[in-house]
Amino acid sequence: MKRRKFIKSSALSSSVLLAPSFIKAMEQINIELFGYKKLVIIQLTGGNDGLNTVIPYRNDLYYKARPKIALKKNKTINLNGELGLHYKLTALKRLYDQGYLTIINNVGYPNPSRSHFRSSDIWHSASDANSFLSTGWIGRYLDHYGKKPHSAIEIDESLSLMLKGNKRSGIATKNANFLYRALHESKINDILSYQRHRHLSEHNLGYLYKTLVDAKSSARYLQEKTKLYRTYQSYPNNPLARQLKTIAKFINSGLETRIYYASLTGFDTHANQLGRQERLLDVFGNSIYSFINDLKKGNTFKDTLVITFSEFGRRPQQNAAGGTDHGTANNVFLFGENLKNKGLYNKLTSLKNLDNNGDLKYEIDFREIYASILNNWLEVDDERILKKSFNKLNLI
Amino acid sequence: MDKKHIQHLYWRAGFGLNPQELSIQENKNRSDLIDELFLKSAKPKPLTVNTSEFNRFNSKMLNTNKEARKEFNKLNTSKINELNYSWIYRLVNSDQILREKMTLFWSNHFVCRDNNIIATQKYNNTLRKYALGNFKDFVKAISKESAMIKYLNLNQNIKRKPNENFARELLELFTLGIGNYSEKDIKEAARAFTGYKTNLKAKFIFKKNQHDTGLKTFLNRKDNFNGDQIIDVILEEKQCSKFICEKIYAYFVNENLNVEHIESMANVFYKNYNIEELIRFVFSSDWFYNKDNIGSKIKSPIEFLVGMHKVIPLKFNSRKELLKMQSVLNQKLLFPPNVAGWQGGRHWITTNSILVRVKLPSMILERESYSIKPKGDFTKTFQFAYVKNKFQDKLDVSVDWKSYKKNVKKLKSEEFLSSLILCNVTPGTEKYLKSIGRLTKKRNLVKIMSLPEYQMC
Repeated sequence: MKRRKFIKSSALSSSVLLAPSFIKAMEQINIELFGYKKLVIIQLTGGNDGLNTVIPYRNDLYYKARPKIALKKNKTINLNGELGLHYKLTALKRLYDQGYLTIINNVGYPNPSRSHFRSSDIWHSASDANSFLSTGWIGRYLDHYGKKPHSAIEIDESLSLMLKGNKRSGIATKNANFLYRALHESKINDILSYQRHRHLSEHNLGYLYKTLVDAKSSARYLQEKTKLYRTYQSYPNNPLARQLKTIAKFINSGLETRIYYASLTGFDTHANQLGRQERLLDVFGNSIYSFINDLKKGNTFKDTLVITFSEFGRRPQQNAAGGTDHGTANNVFLFGENLKNKGLYNKLTSLKNLDNNGDLKYEIDFREIYASILNNWLEVDDERILKKSFNKLNLI
Repeated sequence: MDKKHIQHLYWRAGFGLNPQELSIQENKNRSDLIDELFLKSAKPKPLTVNTSEFNRFNSKMLNTNKEARKEFNKLNTSKINELNYSWIYRLVNSDQILREKMTLFWSNHFVCRDNNIIATQKYNNTLRKYALGNFKDFVKAISKESAMIKYLNLNQNIKRKPNENFARELLELFTLGIGNYSEKDIKEAARAFTGYKTNLKAKFIFKKNQHDTGLKTFLNRKDNFNGDQIIDVILEEKQCSKFICEKIYAYFVNENLNVEHIESMANVFYKNYNIEELIRFVFSSDWFYNKDNIGSKIKSPIEFLVGMHKVIPLKFNSRKELLKMQSVLNQKLLFPPNVAGWQGGRHWITTNSILVRVKLPSMILERESYSIKPKGDFTKTFQFAYVKNKFQDKLDVSVDWKSYKKNVKKLKSEEFLSSLILCNVTPGTEKYLKSIGRLTKKRNLVKIMSLPEYQMC
């Protein structure tokens, strides 16, 4: 039997055995799964200081604004003679040299909010700064193109705005067993074992039952599909690495999941920034590096695009506590094998020509990046999801 | 009045009734029941936590002394959490059920959030004070509330450099709804609200020299409008009455709007913007008791939590845990997500939140362990060391099973079930419930509360 055919038939038969009558037999595994494009989104929560991540180490204004916390040339890894990576990001430099990294500078949006909550919501929902959406951009992707809750997975215990749609939402799970166990702990199995699908209406009550049924079938799917998986990749021991390891497990197991979302918190460095950011970037760089190696071993890196963002960057000017306060534009990293603009996508914006508040001016609206990914990578109609037309960038 | 109708009225006007309360109300007629709701809610009772500890702070100290500021912030956080807890138990215990339900409704209309307890508490009591009062006075009072002045940047709105934030939301979210005014109207309205300020004691301050007294053209009228006059002009628009009635209808009647019913409400409301009259009209209308409206709403997390307290006497012994449960259910009182508030309805439900809802009765009533964490906050510092998650937690809740048992002793299973569930149960659930024995048993109460049907009101 050919491999594809085998996978197809075995998945079908196992679901028939396990599924209660009201759960439709699992849809045939899409043959296109091989070559199935995936997007991994990582938030550096709290607002990573972009200027101390990709450092303008030859710019006097940078040193002037940050007498205490600027990184000297010998603490940076040169990229192009003007910008350098933080010295803890040697792993990223390796990826950069291999052509697996695009660094996009000056990403933001008009009338930036400096509140974590609001700005994070803006990045999650892809709304304008003065409008409020209760759905996330990935949630709306699911509304139009998602089939199952596990079409988009957040590696956490509760779901973020980004994955909430109008008709459909993604699923949050810490690992493959987390949901499965939650179902067994509660009374859901008892309740559902009496339900017949045809009795469920389109009204609100029917919607609740359908959501439960979907949760159950997704939990079972994740558990079944991943239980035989073994990885030989070693990871550092930290929360981000653990999330990425789970994502690699899901991707390499061939789940029909398009989107994954993970986050690393702690970047709100108002005080004593140097040591704190150093440890975080070390975690970030090495975890991503292990993750990408894991995917390469599974031959899935070619179909995976990774994007990292923060809800905002930090102010160019240091504060009195050896830290930086909430700022505006920041850099976004893309990791992948199919990058069109490898390395630095654009120059860092001027440190002289700042906005009224003394913060960096944005050059690229983050939604242009979203639009490009939706259009060129996930191959869907970005305007339907972003509710507006955005310029596409030559990224992937 | 029909039992189902009484339950419907009490779920919309409040948080439901327990079987005893239901049997007491059973023999009264509709107008008596409605009169009783309004009578009991006649005089607002402010909700307060003790803020005397704040007397030792002054603004000079907070501007210059970092330690004092830190302490001040910490105390505020703790007091706001205390207010959150008191508010929820106010919803559980107050006999002013209608006023409290209205207050909750308005808190998601005039949405506001502040990290200062004095301003937060004052704001909350303004909502309570006007909850059944005159809408015109209400909007004017809100525009002068310290928390609102800060939240929508009125304090930065000065003659030289107007800030449009408040004016925009006033028109878009509080009174007319999007599409019923122009960008120019926003700009002109912003000018009228210049000079609004506040202080540490949450007092309203009007800075005359920062107020723009010039001519403004607003909604096709021309005058030297001030803030209050702008609100007068807005409320002359019939659209304002319609906009508010739509929101009331969606919240108290049905999220599927009925144009005719709303039109009749808007006519009543437009006369003098009396909220009490409007709500009385709704509850007295035959269509309010239409079958399609009963048990058709998905409970908000607060309705779910408070409703459970009504059926069985409960007490969360830990403020922190009650906050945590609100977070995982996505509705933490006093912490709305943004100025548009919670969307409600199906927006409450995600694959994850429905699992929590089904599990919560077991967590509360059977001390079932759980491993659900709300989202961490943004300022959290990162834990480098590998901290093994304490995988299982248990809630610390006191449950008064004794009075529960006494209350349900004489009830038939069927009677008991219909006092808990308003909507029609699915055929599958009917079978399930037949299989589990007498429904008033402790463990069966938990099973009923775990049903999706119990999520409806």
